[in-house]
Amino acid sequence: MIMSETVLIIEDNEQNFYLIEFLLEKNGFTVIGARNGREGIQMARTHKPSAILLDIQLPEMDGYAVAAELKTHDETKGIPIIAVTSYAMMGDRERILGSGATGYIEKPINPETFVEEIRRYF
Amino acid sequence: MDRCIGSVDRNRTGPVGRKHGDHESAGASAGRGYSAAAGILRNHGRLLLPFWGFSIVLLLLPALSLPLASADNRAVTIGVYENAPKIFTSESGKPSGIFVDIIEHIAETEGWRLHYVPGTWTEGLDRLARREIDLMPDVANTAARAEIYSFHREPVLSSWFQVYARRGSEIRSLLDLSGKRICVLNRSVQQEAFAQLAAGFGLSTTLIPVPDYKAIFEMVARGEADAAITNRFYGVMHAPKHGLEDTRVIFHPTQLFFAASRSMPTQLLDILDNHLLNMKSDPGSVYYMSLKRWISEEARFKLPVWIQTLAWVVGVVLLMSIAGSVILKRQVNARTRELKRINQEMEQRVIDRTAELAAAMEKARAADRIKSAFLATMSHELRTPLNSIIGFTGIMLQGLTGSLNPEQHKQMSMVQSSARHLLALINDVLDISKIEAGQLTLSITPFDLKASIEKAVMLVLPLAEKKGLDIRLNIADDVATATTDQRRLEQVILNLLNNAVKFTERGEVDISCRMEDNRYCVSVSDTGIGIEAEHLQTVFQPFHQIDTGLTRKYEGTGLGLSICKKIIEMMGGVIEVESRPGRGSTFTIRFPIHPGA
Repeated sequence: MIMSETVLIIEDNEQNFYLIEFLLEKNGFTVIGARNGREGIQMARTHKPSAILLDIQLPEMDGYAVAAELKTHDETKGIPIIAVTSYAMMGDRERILGSGATGYIEKPINPETFVEEIRRYF
Repeated sequence: MDRCIGSVDRNRTGPVGRKHGDHESAGASAGRGYSAAAGILRNHGRLLLPFWGFSIVLLLLPALSLPLASADNRAVTIGVYENAPKIFTSESGKPSGIFVDIIEHIAETEGWRLHYVPGTWTEGLDRLARREIDLMPDVANTAARAEIYSFHREPVLSSWFQVYARRGSEIRSLLDLSGKRICVLNRSVQQEAFAQLAAGFGLSTTLIPVPDYKAIFEMVARGEADAAITNRFYGVMHAPKHGLEDTRVIFHPTQLFFAASRSMPTQLLDILDNHLLNMKSDPGSVYYMSLKRWISEEARFKLPVWIQTLAWVVGVVLLMSIAGSVILKRQVNARTRELKRINQEMEQRVIDRTAELAAAMEKARAADRIKSAFLATMSHELRTPLNSIIGFTGIMLQGLTGSLNPEQHKQMSMVQSSARHLLALINDVLDISKIEAGQLTLSITPFDLKASIEKAVMLVLPLAEKKGLDIRLNIADDVATATTDQRRLEQVILNLLNNAVKFTERGEVDISCRMEDNRYCVSVSDTGIGIEAEHLQTVFQPFHQIDTGLTRKYEGTGLGLSICKKIIEMMGGVIEVESRPGRGSTFTIRFPIHPGA
């Protein structure tokens, strides 16, 4: 049963955070959140969530660096990282997957299929 | 009467759009995939089987096309310089980095012997120009360079340039750089690009050209300069070590290649392209392993002293030879001066005029580059608020926050439809700006043309059925494999079909495909409203539909047909239109069966 699964959202934009949080909680996930990369890495190491939804444009430490660092710690390197990003320029997809993310979902997200899409990466 | 693409209308086509996600289909013409196609094109990882088959074809291609050269133990000489993690010499003296991993993998498969020639960036470029080396890694393709070097077509990497400054320096935006001293790599694309960017914003900055990246960061760390420009790969890896941080100033997206000497056979460049395409489509390939390895791991390196000595020696030799040729030229000029004086006066006038023209031209180009960088950044910034608009309206329409009354449902649907139209506009504008900045590249692969056409027809079928239109498909028996950019061609065909359905109220839409010499010809005809003769010339111009006053009835971005025309022209093809007002229109595209055909 998926009821008990915990998802960590690392996202600095208040509205976008709430949007994803709302969708996940409606679908029975437990949501924890971080507003910057440093805090996100801490929470990932403490709570060991089932998956991490990672924004790329974050203050101080960007999503590429967060993904790369999560892959260096034994306790977090097995957690799937799904980048949720509005970067749509050439080469962004390769860069994101190259830095260690498992999946890539482009913003704007589709609320009807979003949860289904991220479940694939669990 | 004009016809344009309605990315938005496409989204309302019912079952297909909904099933695969409405917001995806909204991004249709921007190359972020449309509806059903999007699901397939985006997820390489889940489609290993077809790609494997395709990989085998690609691996065989070089062997077939080069029966003599393929197993000849060809020696390939490559310039190495310090630009970690893309290309550099490791502590143990071994050439390393992403470009090395990739070329060594290709060399191993092709049986090439690789020789590395270390030096600085500028030495490498000079050696390549003198044909002393065959390849130079991590070089952007510019018009000036294309005259001296050869380039393959499939970019190895894409990168942006970023400005770095000391921690706490308060440099946050481009305007904060006013009056600052900024280090930049000498003879690089970013040197020129930044100067133009700064000029475009009326900033006065002091650009300090520096021969290598390491020196750039050291100068800023020591306070000899205020900011540094490097590529993002290098900056992300090295800035923290020098006590520097990234600013929000990111500019000039660049595609990076191996530059080849003019003596390099073009088949070898094709081999590079084939391997790159192959590696990029396989998430487990050397390409992605290398990106993972170098982007996530720290690597330390030093520039050996002998390279600096060598740079001095080469520099002195170069200077002496330049001085020698200048002296010789002066002697020759002195003897012929009198005879040529009158001629020269005339020539001088021509030269002046040409220089003025060239300067005006360059100014226009610079303005264009600023415009496309601006558009690219804007399209990114606009997506963030759109995410919450489209997201929350979707949630409310799904009834997740409680049921809506019919009026609320109607109004929320209008918000949703307008937001999707805005997204389609952003995507189309991004496409146009990419095309105009020359950054749209085609990814050429062989594919089944008939299947592609059928796929596009399936996507417009729901709307056609709703309007009571017949769609007739007529594909000749000899239509088989096409070799071009599949996704972009499907985008064009879907665009034409969408227009035909959109502008036809009764009757039918016919799509036919046949072979003509060495070209494919795809025609889309309708029995719709047609186009007045005086508008036929302008239907392919951007935003044309908007000034016709018909936007209410025929909603669309007004960019679709101009994008179609640019894409087909990039494929070496043509797009044509014939129309009779009130009777219908026929749009026809013709493009080569193979890129070289």
